[in-house]
Amino acid sequence: MRNFAAFILTHGRPDNVITFGKLRALGYSGPIYLIVDNEDATIDRYFANFGSKTVIVFDKKAMADKCDEANNFDDQNVVVHARNASFDIAETLGLTHFVQLDDDYFLFMTRDDVRGRTIRNLDTAFAVTCDFLDVSGAASVAWSQGGDHIGGFSGVRLKRKAMNTFFCRVDRRFWFLGTVNEDVNTYVCEGQRGRLFFTFTGLQIDQKETQSQAGGLTDIYLQRGTYVKSFTSVLFCPSSVRVAMMTSKHRRLHHLIDWGAAVPCIVPECVQKKSC
Amino acid sequence: MTFLRREDKQEKYTTATGSPIYAPKDRNPHILELKDNSRQQVLLNEINASRVTQEEKLFLAAAAQRHTVFNYELIADYYAHATPEMQRLMEASALVIIDIDQAIERGYVRLCRAVRDLHMEEVAKDA
Repeated sequence: MRNFAAFILTHGRPDNVITFGKLRALGYSGPIYLIVDNEDATIDRYFANFGSKTVIVFDKKAMADKCDEANNFDDQNVVVHARNASFDIAETLGLTHFVQLDDDYFLFMTRDDVRGRTIRNLDTAFAVTCDFLDVSGAASVAWSQGGDHIGGFSGVRLKRKAMNTFFCRVDRRFWFLGTVNEDVNTYVCEGQRGRLFFTFTGLQIDQKETQSQAGGLTDIYLQRGTYVKSFTSVLFCPSSVRVAMMTSKHRRLHHLIDWGAAVPCIVPECVQKKSC
Repeated sequence: MTFLRREDKQEKYTTATGSPIYAPKDRNPHILELKDNSRQQVLLNEINASRVTQEEKLFLAAAAQRHTVFNYELIADYYAHATPEMQRLMEASALVIIDIDQAIERGYVRLCRAVRDLHMEEVAKDA
């Protein structure tokens, strides 16, 4: 039996956890936990706002010592440790499935080739995503973001990546890699070894524009620039990732993945000689 | 909405629109086409010409393999034409992923249907 919860990974924004209110407003009735690290200076405020049953604190240093940070900057205001700690927390809570959400989502919607519609039945939307996670054998399934739809429907409804909304199973643990660009590092590095990560573009979240909100990862990006962020993924997979200029509203460096060289293809079983 | 439209281009295998399942092509590529190790070769030449220790050379040579660029579509094409023994070894090395019992394909179609229903519910509410 599936035992599911939504985790909101948050840091330094106890009065601005936008995702929490949106989940309830849009019909999610299951448990919500705020995942906060023990070095957060605003931790008391989280407890005051949300209560001790909702806020779960993890030991950031202990988690940092377990994972591959990919640099020696000793940055602590990063999300990778919360992502990795989520699996342990989920197991402790007796969950089978969980979703990792950022704290700044203001929109959850379905999307066809042309336009999106706000979902007012998130319970069902989460359940069908978990159904696909179960049958596909994927390590994680995610929803798309606004950026996935720039230029219209690409013809790819299921992408081989996962960002932001990580739907996970406790029994399919994986480790997020690197203190920055941890999502890209992980889905490319694990993906080239045959683990599956999917983004379904028929479902979408939207969040505050990158580097527009104070706190969280924004400070790291502004401090180090996006070159370090993007180049971290090159370090992990130099054969398929490079740094390129992204020409959106604000020009910035971004990772560019050569997908044909990044992850093995999924082929129909009938191609397998023994089953033909 | 085109969630479930069938593609016309595929000849041998058919997948749902937007599906991640790759349909191998009829052409069997030469095995030398499956990877590009030109960057690796440049690095190896520099390593071999250097005066670092033999142990260091071995380490650097292993690291240089990270720059080999695999063409996974051609690898899947090659897989489709390979002997059963070669196929098993390619599977073990995760050079292809097999969609056993069409679990991914069918799960994807079910997901599309469910989300289409959700979408149409919201459209109806707004009508």
